Amino acid sequence: MEFAGLAAGIAVGFGVLGPGIGVGIIAAKSSEAIGRNPDAAGLIRTNMILGAALAEGLGILSFVLGILLWTRIG
Amino acid sequence: MDWLFPSGFKYPPDFHIPSLTGQPLFHLGPLSYTNAHLTMAIVIVILAGLAWLVTRNLRDRPTGLQNAIEMLVQGLDDFVVSIGGAGSRKYLPLFGTLFLFIVFSNWLSVIPFVGQIEFLHSPTADYHINFGMALIAWLAYQTEGFKHLKLEYPKRWFNVSGFKDGPFIGGIFILVGIIELFSEMFRLLTLTLRLWGNVLGGEIMLVVMSGLLFVPGLALPFVGLEVFIGLVQGLVFALLVLMYFVLAIESHDEEHEEGSHTDTDRVPSPEQHPASQAA
Repeated sequence: MEFAGLAAGIAVGFGVLGPGIGVGIIAAKSSEAIGRNPDAAGLIRTNMILGAALAEGLGILSFVLGILLWTRIG
Repeated sequence: MDWLFPSGFKYPPDFHIPSLTGQPLFHLGPLSYTNAHLTMAIVIVILAGLAWLVTRNLRDRPTGLQNAIEMLVQGLDDFVVSIGGAGSRKYLPLFGTLFLFIVFSNWLSVIPFVGQIEFLHSPTADYHINFGMALIAWLAYQTEGFKHLKLEYPKRWFNVSGFKDGPFIGGIFILVGIIELFSEMFRLLTLTLRLWGNVLGGEIMLVVMSGLLFVPGLALPFVGLEVFIGLVQGLVFALLVLMYFVLAIESHDEEHEEGSHTDTDRVPSPEQHPASQAA
């Protein structure tokens, strides 16, 4: 139990790393796509928000895990 | 320094971290009425009151409030049609209600004292309410899928049509069906946790930031960030529900024809643009 605080920090830190990279890639690629085809900007933006939300959900899962560990410490 | 810190200097100060769920205010038998319920009632009263005020005497030439609300409804309607076509307009009531309720609740969590005092706790910062909304949307789109495709609908989970091409293909189809079934279950979980994690995480971040930064106004940029995140999360929840509806009612046989049609519609082929090829 004494390492629970450390575990919460590591879980959130590493868990957010992947989704951060993923959301960055999504934003970069959709900007590229809008630059290439500005007419489809609305459709691309919607898809970007959807993809970013799905990628971000994984980060939020690790955040929830961190909160649960942190409440165990009291 | 004593007048500035009457109970002694301490850094970092003691935070009052918002609780993970609403705290019960009173009990009705086995059920408890929490402060999240109370705040949800306030949100509903505000939204319903707004709707009643606007529709009390409608005019052909809208002015003021009616104009603003009409713009909002028109914008939501255009958005739904741009996602799922004109046929998905009947999901506008569910989509719009979820969107408005979630966005209002998210913005409530940014207001000081909400989540801090006993009677107020943002509804979307309590995962029970999020799970309730996710469950309603989930049941609604499963029902819609069954209504549209009848017995075709469960075939996406239990597909034995691959066995006519041999046992290997059939086995792959069965495995894909199992993955689909699990993803249906995970949709409930991720819809709930994404919204709850974002709103509660935002509340905690605001408390910690305003505690750590000493000067009260320095945390204001984070308030702006939270307002933006509240809007995006409301949009994402409602948009995902709409996408699940669209995915539920489309049959797998029409998919290819539709896809190719829109592809040639939207993306110009390089042969039509010789100039871009030369550049």
